[in-house]
Amino acid sequence: MAVPPSPVTILDAAPNLGALYTKAAFTARGRGGPLPDTHLARRAVPVDPAHLAAYDRECGFPLDDVLPATYPHMLTFPLQMVLMTDRAFPLALPGLVHMRNRIDVLRAVRADEPLDLEVWAENFARHRSGATVDLGATVQVAGEEVWRSTSTYLARGATAPEGAPEADVEVTVGDLERPVATWRIPDDAGRRYAKVSGDVNPIHLSGLTAKAFGFKRAIAHGMWVKARALAALSGRLPDAITIDVAFRKPLFLPSTVTLWTAQAEGGWDVAVRSASSGTEHMIGTVRPL
Amino acid sequence: MVRKAAIVGGNRIPFARSNSAYAQASNQDMLTATLDGLVARFGLQGAQLGEVVAGAVLKHARDFNLTRESVLGSKLSATTPAYDVQQACGTGLEAAILVANKIALGQIESGIAGGVDTTSDAPLAVGDDLRRVLIGLNNARTVQDRLKALAKIRPGQLVPEIPRNAEPRTGLAMGDHAAITAKEWRIGRAEQDELAVRSHANMAAAYDRGFFDHLVTPYLGLARDNNLRPDSSLEKLATLEPVFGKGDPDATMTAGNSTPLTDGASAVLLASDEWAAEHGLPVLAHLVDAQTAAVDYVHGGEGLLMAPVYAMPVMLARQGLTLQDFDFYEIHEAFASTVLATLKAWEDDAFCKDKLGLDAALGSIDRSKLNVNGSSLAAGHPFAATGGRIVAQLSKQLHEAGPGKRGLISICAAGGQGVVAILES
Repeated sequence: MAVPPSPVTILDAAPNLGALYTKAAFTARGRGGPLPDTHLARRAVPVDPAHLAAYDRECGFPLDDVLPATYPHMLTFPLQMVLMTDRAFPLALPGLVHMRNRIDVLRAVRADEPLDLEVWAENFARHRSGATVDLGATVQVAGEEVWRSTSTYLARGATAPEGAPEADVEVTVGDLERPVATWRIPDDAGRRYAKVSGDVNPIHLSGLTAKAFGFKRAIAHGMWVKARALAALSGRLPDAITIDVAFRKPLFLPSTVTLWTAQAEGGWDVAVRSASSGTEHMIGTVRPL
Repeated sequence: MVRKAAIVGGNRIPFARSNSAYAQASNQDMLTATLDGLVARFGLQGAQLGEVVAGAVLKHARDFNLTRESVLGSKLSATTPAYDVQQACGTGLEAAILVANKIALGQIESGIAGGVDTTSDAPLAVGDDLRRVLIGLNNARTVQDRLKALAKIRPGQLVPEIPRNAEPRTGLAMGDHAAITAKEWRIGRAEQDELAVRSHANMAAAYDRGFFDHLVTPYLGLARDNNLRPDSSLEKLATLEPVFGKGDPDATMTAGNSTPLTDGASAVLLASDEWAAEHGLPVLAHLVDAQTAAVDYVHGGEGLLMAPVYAMPVMLARQGLTLQDFDFYEIHEAFASTVLATLKAWEDDAFCKDKLGLDAALGSIDRSKLNVNGSSLAAGHPFAATGGRIVAQLSKQLHEAGPGKRGLISICAAGGQGVVAILES
């Protein structure tokens, strides 16, 4: 049976995330229906060395010519935001919770390679507190897929379509017995990462703006926590890897948290937990691909 | 057990003029990338080496354990020990000597010697007065004490101290010291410019014939040293105004015949012959001997960069060699005038007798054997990284020339110090 090709819309420039968050706030109501099958793409996107350097510094990666595994998300996430703020998208962006993020690096991606980006939405699924949706992304270099990711978002109280499958948001790690590092995360961590990533979601920026969305204080960006955990493993990973993390309880700012790591299946299991209460903020697996 | 340490090979990133390609890179970034390049070149992923020794001249306080931190971020095993050394521009060569000596004594079987420097991401320090106030503030226990401490801050203290390329005891820039020596030894402008042109031409030719393919790994978009001017000419250099020894109508030292501020890193893999053989790795050369010396450039009347001149005869006598017994010479081009003053001093009977205590001059060398693949005037000079560049470059040159060839290294350093070494293929 032939599958009709999904329509691909090609954007010429990186979207402005601030404007998209504003749009999202004003168009939150009255959404519903199935996931759009739109694919958004950008072609031959160059990596800005100054931006890469700022990202590396903010996340703790060494500056070199290979992109950190989490870096292409800086380029694909804005496209996903365009998709999610479009009126055709069935879930309201405010209140969407990032539950899980899986990144596959198929080979080392060099900073001087022009990247073809494409994003889409898929897997509308049922969850005990609502519905989840996956935002997919792929990055190609000259027709070769080099990187892909899946971000799973939960919309509390939303209803998945009839017959939708059960959401898959679990990541399993083995015993993590020892904290290996303590991170003292300052209260401006969200603002700093927002500056680099463009992700100016108000829940990350300040206590006041976070309160407006039901959080007692500003919370750290999940993808920043993931990037920092990965940066802590610099030098110990092969080029081709899968990093699959589940975001658990919000990491309120400021916080002192601990990183836990253990070798597992040729890679690593990781967790980020509150230093005082042990509350789990993120767990994940890093595996050779 | 005493054996000669083998030089297996080297790796460096292209050197970049200050605030250019590596403006965003820290010392740790550059040293880690350089170690990883060496790891990739010699298949050392996950390997536990005997030791990694490196250093930087301009160093942030947070980088107290720079080399170990770089090892931990690299693809080497985390169980590879490391330590930092600092001997100004002699750092890289001194690091190689330290690693080689441990190998010679059988204390380690393999090691990496390196160096890194950035003049772009240089440390800024608060002035000494403000520093004392801040320490007082940190120690204050009560609000009242803290306010008292803060009240001691004066606006003038808020200007940070920018590191200067100047000698702490004389207040003179290194170039101004070199200009004094150049004048003393009557080193002319033309011969300095000639040396600079030859350095650029030699290095450009070495790149063109692929000599650096196995010595340099591109970094942050740079594949060659961006200070290199293949089209450098005497006519162009002659147009430059002197920048050191200002106020002297006969000043000779320009930006063209002096090294610029540079960012970069280098690393050299050393090992015992047995370790190299076990790992299927080549031996390019052996480190035969080394010597350091220091001069009293403050009150003693000697030139700041003349210490290698004193180190050389000590090492030659120990080895029973003359200055002419070498196939290649690598004299670090901090300034063209430094190289020329060094050679002139060795040729000078009176100086060699009076200052070096020799019976006669060491004599002259065949200039066609000097810096045959270019040196610091062409590549630039990231202080601590220069020694590693020279050791790797000379080792490869000796290896290409065949077995039994000898090479001589001479490096001058701030503080009136000098390091010299002999390599043999």
